[in-house]
Amino acid sequence: MKLRTHRSFALIGVAVAALVASACGGDDGNSITVYSGRGNSLIQPIIDRFEEESGIDVKVKYGDSADLALLINEEADAGRAEADVYLSQSPGSIGFVDANLAQIPQATLDLVDPNTRDDDGRWVGISGRQRVLVYNTDDVDPAELPDSIFDLVADDRWAGEIGVAGGNGSFQDFVTAMRFTEGEDVAAAWLSDLAALDPVAYANNNAIVTAVGRGDVQVGLVNHYYNFRQLAENPDQPSANHVFADGDPGATLIVTGAAIVAGSDKADLADQFLQFLLSDEGQQYFANETFEYPLVPGQPTAGNVPPIEFGDVGSIDLDELEGGLGQTRAMIEAAGLES
Amino acid sequence: MPADATNTAAPRRPRRWSGITVAAIAIGAIFAAPALFVVARTVTLDASFSDTLDDIRGPLWRTVQLATLVSFSATLLGTGLAWLTVRTDLPFRRVWRIALVLPLVLPSFVGAGAFIAGIAPGGVIHDALDLIGVDAPRRFRGLGASWLVLTAFTYPYVLLPVSARLDSLRTSLAESATLLGLSPRRVFFRIIAPEIRPAVLGGGLLVFLYTLSEFGAVQLLGYDTLTRVIFVTRQADRATSFAAATTLLVLAVVVVTLERRLRGRTSVDQRSAAIDHRPATLGWKRIPATLACAATLAVGLVVPVLSLLVWTRRGFSDGRLDVGDLTDPAINTATVAVIAAIVTVLVVLPIALATTRRPSTATSVAAGAVLGGFAIPGLVIALALAVIALNAPGIGWLYQSFSLLIIGYVIHFGSQALASAEQAVRAVPDHVREQSRLLEPRTARRVLRVDLPMMRPGLLAGGGLVFLATVKELPATLLLAPLDFPTLATEIWGGFNEGLYALTGLASLTLIAVSGVLTWLLVLRPTVRRRR
Repeated sequence: MKLRTHRSFALIGVAVAALVASACGGDDGNSITVYSGRGNSLIQPIIDRFEEESGIDVKVKYGDSADLALLINEEADAGRAEADVYLSQSPGSIGFVDANLAQIPQATLDLVDPNTRDDDGRWVGISGRQRVLVYNTDDVDPAELPDSIFDLVADDRWAGEIGVAGGNGSFQDFVTAMRFTEGEDVAAAWLSDLAALDPVAYANNNAIVTAVGRGDVQVGLVNHYYNFRQLAENPDQPSANHVFADGDPGATLIVTGAAIVAGSDKADLADQFLQFLLSDEGQQYFANETFEYPLVPGQPTAGNVPPIEFGDVGSIDLDELEGGLGQTRAMIEAAGLES
Repeated sequence: MPADATNTAAPRRPRRWSGITVAAIAIGAIFAAPALFVVARTVTLDASFSDTLDDIRGPLWRTVQLATLVSFSATLLGTGLAWLTVRTDLPFRRVWRIALVLPLVLPSFVGAGAFIAGIAPGGVIHDALDLIGVDAPRRFRGLGASWLVLTAFTYPYVLLPVSARLDSLRTSLAESATLLGLSPRRVFFRIIAPEIRPAVLGGGLLVFLYTLSEFGAVQLLGYDTLTRVIFVTRQADRATSFAAATTLLVLAVVVVTLERRLRGRTSVDQRSAAIDHRPATLGWKRIPATLACAATLAVGLVVPVLSLLVWTRRGFSDGRLDVGDLTDPAINTATVAVIAAIVTVLVVLPIALATTRRPSTATSVAAGAVLGGFAIPGLVIALALAVIALNAPGIGWLYQSFSLLIIGYVIHFGSQALASAEQAVRAVPDHVREQSRLLEPRTARRVLRVDLPMMRPGLLAGGGLVFLATVKELPATLLLAPLDFPTLATEIWGGFNEGLYALTGLASLTLIAVSGVLTWLLVLRPTVRRRR
């Protein structure tokens, strides 16, 4: 027993030593800190390339966009800006922190289409996702699929067969966009029509695409790239995207945004990072590895992702979103959908 | 009161405010910090409480319903399996003992996701049911699904402490009773049950608190509980979010108080510690007993692991997965979980000593604070600690440090070690303490040579629970970890979130392997070997 006790002490010793050793990474001034609401597996490869090419060391904190936004605000309140760059999955979350964001240099903003950046220059879009209707190709004949999201909720054919993620950021962003383009009454009516069809609630877009793939529900309201990614993993999955007509709110473009945090003393390095994400290399990474839309004009999409024109989809005004998100949530809930 | 009666024999009468009581109160105060923060924010954010209560009545009711059902079934299952694997001649007992702990390892959202995938056409459950001519349900959601999944992943919270208690229980009385002709069932209910009651109740309480703060699985299974309200409203409607968290806290306090009452001052017979274990003979019941173990394991481990294997295999076939990428996360995970387990046991031990040897209202409140930490979702604890570290004078350096991460785990999981630590303290009989006090005047030596060896099964079980919980904890890890500190849980989350199921599968399997090996080495092997 004595021997075993010693061994477990040794194990603890090794563990502590390893922890201390890994904690001792110095900051030589040539580094930036990124809070990323986009997942490690999506973003880390392109960050690695930036580190290699620029010689700048990038430290990353991964997390949910909303939680990181809460943290950025708390840090700002305490007078400690820990992050230099904030990458957000959702326009709603970036709107939530925009009082604590710095001005992005005009040259960087000008890299993208004016539709996909903040009017006041506090964030810039780095990639785009389009809202689509994913459907099960075994259960649904493409000819049945509606051109408009309003036709979808007017048709009993889809009762009990629509997958929705009411609590998910991109669904809320899409409803907010609809409120601004179509008006409050139209959006509220659409939500209650949807609720009347008894849709099935899921946790997020991924869960919906998977559910459609296995026939749990026949169609689902999601962003376009989840299906491409799941097909890349499992080519046999019987799911496909249906894109609503041009200009339909069902085809809204939702951008992922990048911002420089106010109070960052490395704003120039942060800007360098943003420019890299908007370079050919960065944009093609998003196109080919995550199947998203590049936002810099002239960049092609991945082979099987159909190109879209930004002018044809309603781009969301994030400035108005900030005040509107709570209202959107209340409307979703009032309609009887889980928010 | 029995506790006082035995204490009169001690050389000194206990003082009400002994050192250990003061230590317990101080530690309890640290544990209460996030809860106090939540209450303070609720007040300053000025939620109209009556409005909020209207909003959350449904989720609150569903939460209570689920937590009650799950803790009831998990308690029955965990106690039964503990008895089978510790005190009977069940075939392959030692193998079952390790394997039956492992369902605790799976992060709940992965477990639930694996179940959902398994029930779909082409999934393992679907195909298995097909073989016996049963149609799998089309949808796997709601109360029933959540109850099944959470029971399958939480019964080890009862199994581990009860096994530890059974390990350190003297058997002579049970054996005499058997020799006198008492049936095994009556031996169990008359002699064993009273002695393991605190461990059973403690474990059941953990399951209840776990279910209260559970988020990932119920979210995926479409069962709307309070944690979802907290999560969904955390940005746009913070007042509601904090009010819902406060409601959870109140619920936890009620249940913790209830459990303490129910447990009472059970006088545990302490005259001798375990020496010889003669297992009960199962006879023909070995077959149903083995089947019960197998069925539990099939639901809690085999089905999810098969689903994970299906996901992983797809990723390997096209060479996109690199096992080497998981080395750092695996090392980080093991390191941080071992340290969290050790620190947690050390921190709650004074409270366990105080509640069992110097029980008073103050020590009960301190213990309640520790237990309450488990009922608040990890996300809320992490945010509270972050804000406290950012704003409290003098501790700003803690922010984004390893220390704060460990503190987060200790506060969130202290309850898991406490129930077992209290069992451990009870395992040292009073007369042994008295005699050792006469023979060995130096306290430190006495603790090292007499108390600690006898407490070991309980302390290791408690540490093991903390270890297993830390390994899979996600929101606190994401928010509190220092920069560039990937763990297996964060890799799994990233993969799951982005639909990269191959990565999720491989990282989850690695998590199970790391946890299994370390649980065996640190928790089970020392206790199992002792009994040979």
